[in-house]
Amino acid sequence: MSADVILVIVVGTALAFDFTNGFHDTANVVATSISTGAARPSVAIGFASLLNFIGAFISISVAATVAKDVVDAEVITPTIVFAGLIGAIAWNLITWYFGLPSSSSHALIGGVVGSAVAAAGLDVILAEGLVGKVLVPAVVAPIVAFLVAGLAIGLSYRAVGRQRPGIVTRGYRYGQVISGGLLALAHGTNDAQKTMGVITLALIAAGKLGAEADPPTWVIVASATAIALGTYSGGWRIIKTTGTRIIKMDAAQGFSAQGAGAAVILASTHFGFPLSTTHVINGGVMGSGAAKRLSAVRWGVAGNIVVAWILTLPAAALIGAATYGFTRIFGTGALGPVLVTLMALSLITAAFARRARQGAPVEAVGA
Amino acid sequence: MIVATLVAWKELWQTVVASIVAGVGITFAFSLGIWGSGQFVELNRSERPVAATAAGVVAALAFLCVIAAVVVGIVVMTHK
Repeated sequence: MSADVILVIVVGTALAFDFTNGFHDTANVVATSISTGAARPSVAIGFASLLNFIGAFISISVAATVAKDVVDAEVITPTIVFAGLIGAIAWNLITWYFGLPSSSSHALIGGVVGSAVAAAGLDVILAEGLVGKVLVPAVVAPIVAFLVAGLAIGLSYRAVGRQRPGIVTRGYRYGQVISGGLLALAHGTNDAQKTMGVITLALIAAGKLGAEADPPTWVIVASATAIALGTYSGGWRIIKTTGTRIIKMDAAQGFSAQGAGAAVILASTHFGFPLSTTHVINGGVMGSGAAKRLSAVRWGVAGNIVVAWILTLPAAALIGAATYGFTRIFGTGALGPVLVTLMALSLITAAFARRARQGAPVEAVGA
Repeated sequence: MIVATLVAWKELWQTVVASIVAGVGITFAFSLGIWGSGQFVELNRSERPVAATAAGVVAALAFLCVIAAVVVGIVVMTHK
């Protein structure tokens, strides 16, 4: 009975994470299109939600064993997964509260690493996976996207420099619809799978599925729906940061950032060196601004974003570890996870209410 | 030194090179398409049909390259 309750809580928490993932990452797909006027906000977000939903069905290679290369899979229990998910959700909401784009994947990895370490000690960390598959890609992603978008916008300005502004702006806006669509599709294929994998692992651990089972259809549909609904809800604070606070972009810059972002993400997928969509898009936005004029980038805002990226793993890990420790106060049953869930729901409701009252976040110092 | 053994350098290098080639290439091709479209309109207005046709062909080829790249991108997603 207790195991079933924990399983239901893990499934619900995983879908809640999926929702925050879509909500948090809407900006990656739509921010540049909205800020350059390529699409009306409601159309851009609706289109992105639909493509995220479709993307979730394109591939079900369970990438969601998202933490398996980073922590020893033998020690993973449903309660560790639950605590890790709480760490990831909490960090996603904290960064949303401050309007900072950060990687949901890194938050999930950090949360699971923290809860696993709290449960079984530092020996569970697989250093090779943590360095090679998380830390190095986190450094590489924004740098590569920065360079690619910078080179791309330089060539683009040279190519269209003497054309009438009207046709150029219209052309790049159409291009943004295509590049934004590709990004949304890629986001759905990458990120919905994490939730599918987490739920599938929980079902396997609970003996509800065989060890080598694929995600059941209801898991795929539920994950696709949660990420699409999250995307449709639109994390407006982060959209504002990515779309207007890093640089004031024109349509060519928006297209370069999105086109470079889509190319980098798909190239990394093809060669098996997965990179964070958030890091890539924001690196691309900074690159397309800096190539035009270094002072065009609000480095204060960019610095705040980079600090959030650096803090993501340790902060989510701390919250994951604290959550695991708290649940263990109440033993190994369902009471701990139930209490944490109730507390989390109360905090989330309070955060949304407070944020709704406060309005826009304060501009970064020096921005 | 330890990092050197933990990183998949080959995949990293391939990702960086492919990202630069694809990212810069696609954006430039699309820009060339816009340039060709603009030239096509301008040259037609100036009653220079041969040059306008050439610009139109450049635009069409450039946009075809972009469409091909999008198809390749979708194929990559389905085969990961």
